[in-house]
Amino acid sequence: MQPFDYIVPHNFAEASALLMAGNDDTRPLLGGTDLLIRVRGGFIRPERIIDLKQLPGMCDIVRSAEGWLVIGAACTMNQVAGHPLVRQEYELLAQACESVASYQLRNRATVGGNCCNASPAADSAPALYCLEAVMEAYGPSGVRRIPIHEFFTGPRCNALRPGEFLTGIHLPPVPSRSAGAFNKLGRTKIGDISIVSVAVWAEAGSRKLEAGGQSKHPERVDGATRTAADGQSKDAERLTWRIAIGAAGPTPLRAPEAEAALAEDASPEGVARAAQLAAEAARPIDDIRASAAYRRGMVAVLARRGVNSVLARLGAAPSVVGGQP
Amino acid sequence: MSQPAGKRTVIGASPPRIEGREKVTGAATYVDDMQFGPSLLHGALKRSPIAHGRIVRIDASRARALPGVRVVVTGEDFPGLTGLYLKDRRIFALDRVRSVGEAVAGVAADTPEIAAQALDLIEVEYEELPGVFDPEYGASPEAPIIHPELASYEVVPFVFPQPGTNISNWFKVRKGDMAQGWAEADLVYEHKYRVPHVQHVPLETHVCVAQQNVNGKITLWSSSQSPFAQRNLIAKALHIDHSRLRVITPYVGGGFGSKAGVSMEGAAVALAMHAKGRPVKLRMTREEEFHTTFVRQGLVAILKMGMTKDGRITAMHNRFYWDGGASTEYGVNITRAAGYSGTGPYYVPNIHVDSYCVYTNHPVGGAMRGFGMPEIHFGIEQHIDEMAHRLGLDPVEVRLKNCLKDGDETLTGMPMHPTGLSECIRKAAAAINWGQETVSYSSTKRHGKGLAAMWKAPAMPPNPGSSALVRLNEDGTATVSIGGVDIGQGALTAMAQFAAEGIGIRVEDVRVNTVDTDYSPYEWQTVASRLTWSMGNAVLRAADAARTQVLQAVAEAWDEDISDLDIVDGQVISYRSEESIPLKNICIDGVQRKDGTFVGGPVVAQGRFMPDYVTPLDPETGQGPRAVVHFTTGCQAVEVEVDTETGEVQVLKIVSAYDVGKAINPELVRTQMEGGAVQGLSTALLEGLILDHGVPRNPNFTDYRIATAVDAPLETENIIVEVPQDDGPFGARGVGEHPMVPTAPAIANAIYNAVGVRLDSMPLTSEKVWAALQNNDI
Repeated sequence: MQPFDYIVPHNFAEASALLMAGNDDTRPLLGGTDLLIRVRGGFIRPERIIDLKQLPGMCDIVRSAEGWLVIGAACTMNQVAGHPLVRQEYELLAQACESVASYQLRNRATVGGNCCNASPAADSAPALYCLEAVMEAYGPSGVRRIPIHEFFTGPRCNALRPGEFLTGIHLPPVPSRSAGAFNKLGRTKIGDISIVSVAVWAEAGSRKLEAGGQSKHPERVDGATRTAADGQSKDAERLTWRIAIGAAGPTPLRAPEAEAALAEDASPEGVARAAQLAAEAARPIDDIRASAAYRRGMVAVLARRGVNSVLARLGAAPSVVGGQP
Repeated sequence: MSQPAGKRTVIGASPPRIEGREKVTGAATYVDDMQFGPSLLHGALKRSPIAHGRIVRIDASRARALPGVRVVVTGEDFPGLTGLYLKDRRIFALDRVRSVGEAVAGVAADTPEIAAQALDLIEVEYEELPGVFDPEYGASPEAPIIHPELASYEVVPFVFPQPGTNISNWFKVRKGDMAQGWAEADLVYEHKYRVPHVQHVPLETHVCVAQQNVNGKITLWSSSQSPFAQRNLIAKALHIDHSRLRVITPYVGGGFGSKAGVSMEGAAVALAMHAKGRPVKLRMTREEEFHTTFVRQGLVAILKMGMTKDGRITAMHNRFYWDGGASTEYGVNITRAAGYSGTGPYYVPNIHVDSYCVYTNHPVGGAMRGFGMPEIHFGIEQHIDEMAHRLGLDPVEVRLKNCLKDGDETLTGMPMHPTGLSECIRKAAAAINWGQETVSYSSTKRHGKGLAAMWKAPAMPPNPGSSALVRLNEDGTATVSIGGVDIGQGALTAMAQFAAEGIGIRVEDVRVNTVDTDYSPYEWQTVASRLTWSMGNAVLRAADAARTQVLQAVAEAWDEDISDLDIVDGQVISYRSEESIPLKNICIDGVQRKDGTFVGGPVVAQGRFMPDYVTPLDPETGQGPRAVVHFTTGCQAVEVEVDTETGEVQVLKIVSAYDVGKAINPELVRTQMEGGAVQGLSTALLEGLILDHGVPRNPNFTDYRIATAVDAPLETENIIVEVPQDDGPFGARGVGEHPMVPTAPAIANAIYNAVGVRLDSMPLTSEKVWAALQNNDI
């Protein structure tokens, strides 16, 4: 492996300056499970590696004053999947994280790194797309927030600018009546890179996000007011659906037509139609793992299975699934 | 054997592995654990990036000038040819490269980093040549010739290269009357099957350390299945006296055939010869392991069979095109084995078999668990299944009708020895509840059952030898020296059992040494599932000789007849006088006579074994009285669940039934069956080296997937059948390779049974099942 300098910056500004100065010769390090393999394989030959894990907050999971969940960029897959708040409210993300590689690797791999590496097959990404995550970056011009669907810009390409690095992943609060399902198809039953993956999410009501990523809905500030608000809200009867597809396009993809169709009709026929629309939203390629045709076919199967599983969970426990009672 | 009857206490018991504690605690020492101090040099190999080309120029001057680089060698330094059966390989390419990854130069440097840097500084200019990437094309007259010098290569007498072509061996069987065979058939069916290259993926990659001392003697510490074959081949290739090359093999972290013969070890020795006494370590990365040591050869099989409407096989015309790779020094014999086994385990009256070993610009093929048998059975066992279905017959009944029985003539004209094949088929079928409808619990999950039979003979020269030494120690324990290697199969434990049984001591009181060619007696190779049978015979004879030495001394001292004496649990006893004496009192110092003098002395005994009855076969017809030493036969039956929407296959159960002659250690035999079933499943469903114009696209565990614990069958059942082998120790024959031979076709047959699609190329991926289902409404 090509030798490199390993640098631990003392603060955000120093980290940014190091990344800015180094350009392509300098790479940020989170878990390193993608980075070091690429260095060892000779695909990249960085001169310097900047370890961001020790900066404040990078390994923390906290609830913000606004009720958002903030996951530090260097939190490991196992840390995220095992966190009580994630398990209670964002269990979809836990499912996705737990599908990555092996337990040992998930002790090292980070959710932030999974996104920054920007593989179309990043398994945490479809879940984060469904949860409408907002990525927070620090850079020369300060803090910047980027919606997840703008963060992924192409295979191994993200929206970070020179000198910028990911600091955290912000998840908006979820309504109590919500559920998600993550399904992935690999060659082996565990540990494989996804041939395709599909995350499905449904929640009661609809909401709009401000440009800054904050919710307008006051009832979602904390769990105590949520249940009451859901009972009053008229659109609580109506489900908002989100479907995100992994490994079947240059980036993870949402399937808006499928989502809209489901909101209108979630009968078995409607679900089948939505699954088909999801498959049409995919933009898969042939590679050594699978053909484009198989991937497209599997998007439909996994989408249908995901929707049915979400419907079953919402039907089974209407007011507690996905949120605190 | 002169074993007294009725005292078999250790044979057929299942003592735990004698080296198990060391291995599971991490205390066991492997080559990479050995410490050589600061003088150790790190070797690395410069490899060809192209599949086929002429080397125009190699300039290593910049590498030589790099500080810390101690040795740089190229093909010009070691131009000799080497190889096990056909000398068609060099340690470093000389004027032509024939596969991506072929070594063109080697360096040894103070650190691995400097060695890697030095490789980058070696400049090699190639003139690319057209390549051969398919064995059928390679065998055709249009194909470019990869080894123009084939006619001049040294070859063993039972391999038949075809100079002027890419065919390095052509094994033929011509028997009976084909026209009559087709005329008698009610159904004639022809189909083509494909098996990709796979890799052995041992946990421990190839690693060795070589060092030359001041007298010129070279020591090679090597993770090997074949310390003696390595000594022989490397000594000849580098013109070293055999006695001046010492190969030491400590514990080995898996081989599966990849560590048979020689692959990268010659390069380490070559580097050491220029390293001025410093040891040189060469260790393959996982990426190198995937394509530069050995791979299992690819196969294209075109099978044509005739069958009567009551299920009798009337004729077979089978053509095997083996994708042998850039060198076929080992692969030629796989081709031969496929030829003399080319009907599968069936009696067939009219036979035409051609097995071609074809040079391609692919990785070098070598031995892998099964040695050609998993590959040929993939087609044969599906073909028979398909024909049975087409004729409306039960595939199990068809197999029972045609399978070889005692005295049936095999395809090469050898009468079949007593075999439990029919019993294996019946027992496997019964254990899977053959004929009983399976219940599918979901509309998208279909269950199915499939079965496949197999045979395999040890594939080797006619006369590979085994030898063993038994020494008794002052405390009455025994030290056994052998030249075979425990690669996970449990050979050390089985040999301890033979020695304990032969001497008359407890198995816990036997130590078995790992191999050091300076001190261990000769063994050909740890291959062909031959150790229990061949080395077992040698150990048993040595143990028997040790026992005889003891008893002769006691008989003389006590003035008794040797036939009245015995050794039981370390005590010498007389059944006549009822005297007894502990073995430890006499096995070094001898026995005291009544007059106070002594007789006997340190007990050291030897034993050896070599088959002396295997005959040559006619090169035109493949016929001869005795093609092989014996065949181990068996059968697997599987139940699968197929997801009709995704094509995923879950193997629910694998039943294995094999005729092992005699299970020396039944627990180890069952472990072999279970491990073979999982490895067979892995190759069936997942594995395949993807080669794009010779460039491996998945030489890593990210994209070359092997079965994990959760992909293993939910249940296995392992059935031991024992029809004794006449020249096996206690009747034993080998079973190491056999359990993965029929797994892939059994699974393919079960998939057919579940969803009605027939897959003729491995691996049987979810996508292939799904794609077939798209064209086949069920």
